[in-house]
Amino acid sequence: MAPSRGLQPLQTALRRLLDGSGSIPGVRRTFSSFSETLADQANKVQRYISHSNDPYLNLTIEDHILRNSPPDAAVLFLYTNRPCVVIGRNQNPWLEVNLSILNPAKTQQAKDTEPPAIGSVDLVRRRSGGGTVFHDEGNVNWSITSPRGDFTRDKHAEMVVRALRKLGIDRARVNERHDIVLDQGHSRSNSDPLDTHRTPYMIDQGGPRPLKVSGSAYKLTRARALHHGTCLLASPNLHIIPDYLHSPARPYLKAKGVESVSSPVGNIGLQNEIFQKYVLEEFAIMYGQTGKQLDIKSVGEEYLKLPEIRKGYEEIRTADWMYSQTPQFSLSNSKINEEASQKKTLTREVKFPDGIDMHLTVHHGIIKECDIHGPHATTAEFQNIQSRLLHRKVQDIRDWHSLLTGGSPSGGRTASEIAHWLNEIMPVVDIAER
Amino acid sequence: MKTPTAREAGTLLSRYTSATRTATICCRFRSSTLPIQQYRREFHNSTALKIVKPYLLADIGEGITECQVIQWFVKPGARVEQFDPICEVQSDKASVEITSRFDGVIKKLYYEADDMAKVGKPLVDIDIQSEISPEDEAVIEGEPRNEANEVAPSKSTQAGHNNGGIEVGRNDTKAVAEDIPAPSVPLPAEPTNSQPQPQRQPSKHASLAVPAVRHLLKQMKVNIEDIEGTGKDGRVTKEDVQKYAEALKKADVAPPAAHTRPSTAPIQTIEDEVRQLTPVQRGMFKEMTRSLSIPHFLYTDSVDLTALNTLRKKFNHQKEKGGRLSPLPFIIKAVSLSLQQYPLLNSHLNTSTEKPQIVVKSEHNIGIAVDSPSGLLVPVIRNVQSQSIESLAAEITRLSGLAKAGKLSATDLSGATFTVSNIGSIGGTAVAPVIVSPQVGILGIGRARAVPAFGQNGEIVKKEECVFSWSADHRIIDGAMAARCAESVRGYLENIETLLVRLR
Repeated sequence: MAPSRGLQPLQTALRRLLDGSGSIPGVRRTFSSFSETLADQANKVQRYISHSNDPYLNLTIEDHILRNSPPDAAVLFLYTNRPCVVIGRNQNPWLEVNLSILNPAKTQQAKDTEPPAIGSVDLVRRRSGGGTVFHDEGNVNWSITSPRGDFTRDKHAEMVVRALRKLGIDRARVNERHDIVLDQGHSRSNSDPLDTHRTPYMIDQGGPRPLKVSGSAYKLTRARALHHGTCLLASPNLHIIPDYLHSPARPYLKAKGVESVSSPVGNIGLQNEIFQKYVLEEFAIMYGQTGKQLDIKSVGEEYLKLPEIRKGYEEIRTADWMYSQTPQFSLSNSKINEEASQKKTLTREVKFPDGIDMHLTVHHGIIKECDIHGPHATTAEFQNIQSRLLHRKVQDIRDWHSLLTGGSPSGGRTASEIAHWLNEIMPVVDIAER
Repeated sequence: MKTPTAREAGTLLSRYTSATRTATICCRFRSSTLPIQQYRREFHNSTALKIVKPYLLADIGEGITECQVIQWFVKPGARVEQFDPICEVQSDKASVEITSRFDGVIKKLYYEADDMAKVGKPLVDIDIQSEISPEDEAVIEGEPRNEANEVAPSKSTQAGHNNGGIEVGRNDTKAVAEDIPAPSVPLPAEPTNSQPQPQRQPSKHASLAVPAVRHLLKQMKVNIEDIEGTGKDGRVTKEDVQKYAEALKKADVAPPAAHTRPSTAPIQTIEDEVRQLTPVQRGMFKEMTRSLSIPHFLYTDSVDLTALNTLRKKFNHQKEKGGRLSPLPFIIKAVSLSLQQYPLLNSHLNTSTEKPQIVVKSEHNIGIAVDSPSGLLVPVIRNVQSQSIESLAAEITRLSGLAKAGKLSATDLSGATFTVSNIGSIGGTAVAPVIVSPQVGILGIGRARAVPAFGQNGEIVKKEECVFSWSADHRIIDGAMAARCAESVRGYLENIETLLVRLR
C-alpha cells in the first residue's frame, strides 16, 4: 500500500487548482490519497479521468494504475493529450516519425516546405506495444486495466463500440485487428445490432476502405492486463497527421521491432464530453455497477507530488527512454528498406555524396558499427569520420556537422556532405523541455 | 495461488525424485507434523527432476508463435523469486511481462535483447529451488499440454472468424469462443452430442497426480479428469488408474448412459422429441423465409448430355482418379457463358430502399449447393467467367472437401451472384429450387438418366438426358429471358464445340 504522506501537499494543491472537468456530472475531488484509493481491495471497479493534457503524465498515471490496482479490480482511465506523437514500446522514432517538424521554432535550417502551424509537438514512447499514433485535443484516450485471467483483446473495444452505437454511430465496429473502424458502404445489409463486429454498411469486396477511428495497444503483466486505445472524435489535424508520421529516413533504415500498419483515418464527429460520459456509463454497466453510485475521480498534475508518479514521469521524459530503447537498426545511404522505397516518394529527396557507401549499425542508441568506403575520398578521411561516429550515443549528438568536421570548415567536404545528409535523415531533436 | 496441500505435494515430490538432492532434504522439510514414511511410494516410472531446467516461453495467445525480447530484467546468476519479472517481450500490439513461476537462480539466457523468442521453446535456464506443482511441469519439461489446463471447446476455429488460428493461451486470452457473436451466415457446427457423459463434479484436486501416475495415464491414453481420485484430497493414484482402465474395457459393449432417442424396448413410452434448430438450420430458416417474398418463375427443360459424356469419357480415360471431370464444371461454365449474354440473371436485387435497385454484378460468383454432415451448405466459386473447366473442377473438389470437413469460412459462403444445385447427385428429375436473395436466379440439376430417343432416320438411339430446372425472380426476370438463357445453356452443353470456341 502506498504511504499517505502525500496527503497534506495534495490537499493544498487541490484547493489551489481550477476546476477543469466540471462539465462531467459526478466527478468528485476527494482528498484521500490517490494511491490508497487505487490500491484498496474494496474498490473493485474504479473510474478516473485526467484534467491534464500532459502526455507524459497521463501515461505515467496509467502505468501507476496498472501496477497498483488490486488484482481483481477493473479500472477505467480517460485522458486527452496536447498534440504529440506517441510511438510503441520498441519502435524506432527515426523510422516512424518525421522528427524535423516536431519543434519548428527550434530548427535552424530553412526547409523546403513549411511545417504545419500547430506549434510544438511532443514525442513520447509509451510502455505498451503497437504502432505510432498522433494525439491531439480532438482525440480521447481510453484505458482499462483489468484482471489477466479473463482478459481478451476485443472485450473493451467492444465496450467502446457499444457506447458509440448508443450515440447513434452505427457504422462503428471492431475489426480483426481489434481496432475500431467506421464502415463506408451505402447499401444496408442485415446485421444484428448487438453484434459489435458487423455493421449494415460493411462492404464485402472492393469499395472504400473503412476508416479507422481507434487503435488498440496492450501491456500484460503477471496478473493484470492493460488495454488502451485512441478515439478520433473531432481532430482538426487529420490532414497533417501524415506529415508527422512519414519519416524521410524510412527508405534508409532497416529496423527490428514492430512496424506501424497505416490505415486511412477519420473523425467520428462527437464532442469529447459526451463520448466520455457514454464510455463511463458503458464501463459501469459492463462491470455490474449500474444503480450504484460509482465515483469518477479527477486526476492531474497535483499527483506529481506522489514519489512513484514523479519517478515514472521523469523516466518517460529521458532521452534514454525515448531513443536508447530502440532495438538494433541499420542506417545506410542505399535504400535498404525495400518496401518503404516502393511506396510513394517523399516530398524532398536528400542528396548523399556520390560514390560513397555508408553503413551504420545502432544498438541501444549507440553507433556500434560504422563502415564508410568509396573511391572519391582518402582512407584517412573515412577513418576520421568513422572514428568520430563510432561509439557515439545518437541522442547526445547536437549537430552532425560539428561532430563530423570538428567545427572547422576545412574538415573535409565529404564529411560536410555526409553531415548534411544525416541532419536531414536523423535530425537532432530536443525533447520534453516544457 | 498454491494451496498448502499442493505445496506439500510439491515438497514431497521433489524430495523423492532426485538422488542428488538427498543432502538437502532436511532443510526443505516444511511440515514437521508429517512423517516421511507415510508418503513413500515406488516411483518406477517417474522421470527424475534435474536441478537446472529450461523454462519455456508460455503461449501468449492470439496464435502468436514468436515475439521480440525487449529487455531482460535478470542476468545469469541472478536470484529470482516466484512472480519476479524475468523479461519483457513484444508481439505486434502487446508488450508482455514474463514472470518466474519458481524461486531459483537464473543460469542462462537463451536470447539477447531484440532477438525473436519462440513460444514453447526455452527462454532461460533456471535452477529451481521451490516446489514444482504438476501444472509447472508443462512449462519446464516441455510436455504437450496436460489435462490440468481449462480448455473450452474450440468451436471458434470452425466459425468464420477473421482472426484465424485462435489458440487458448494460459497467459493472455481466454478461449475466444464465447466472444464470437452468432454469425448470420449458416455455419458448420460440431455434430450435436446426444450422448452426454454422466455429469460428475470433479473434485478440487481431481487433476492432481504424481509424475509416476501421470506417466501411466499417458501410457494408457486415459484422461485424468475421468478418474475419481481416492488418494489424499482426491488425488489420483496408480490403483485408481488401473481400476478405471479395467472398467473401461468392460464398458465397451455397454450402451451409453443418457440416451434421449426412443429405444426399441417395448416397455418405454415413445415421446415426441423437441429439438432446437442447429446453426445451419437456423441459417436456412432465415434465408428461406426471406425467399418467400420472391415470386418464382419455374422453367424446366431436358438437356441431352450424350455428346458431353462421350467427350468426358475420352478425357477421363487418360486421367487418374483425382483428375477426372464430372459434368458439373461443364455445366457451370456453360451457365457462366450464358450469364454473359443475359447479365440480368447475374444480379442482386435490393429491396431495402424505397425504390428497388438492381445491381448487375460483373463477377460470376456461382454458389454450388453441397450436402455436408451438418446440412446444406453453399460455398461460392469466385470469378467463374475467368476460370477454365479444369480449374473449376479443382475448386469444386476443394470446396466440397472443406464443406464435408466443416472447415468453410464465412468468406467461402458469401457473395454468390447465382446458384447451381446438383440435387441429381442424390436423385430427382424436375425440381423447384428456391432462390436465395438477393440473387435472382437458380438452377437445379436432376439425375441424368439413359432414355430411348429417336435418331435422324427414325431409329432408336440411347440418349443420356438430364432435366434442368430453372427458377427466376419474376419481379425482374421475365419468362422469355429465363427461357432464352436456359436454351443458351442447353445449346452449349449439347453442342460442346460452341462452348469451346467461346472459352477464354
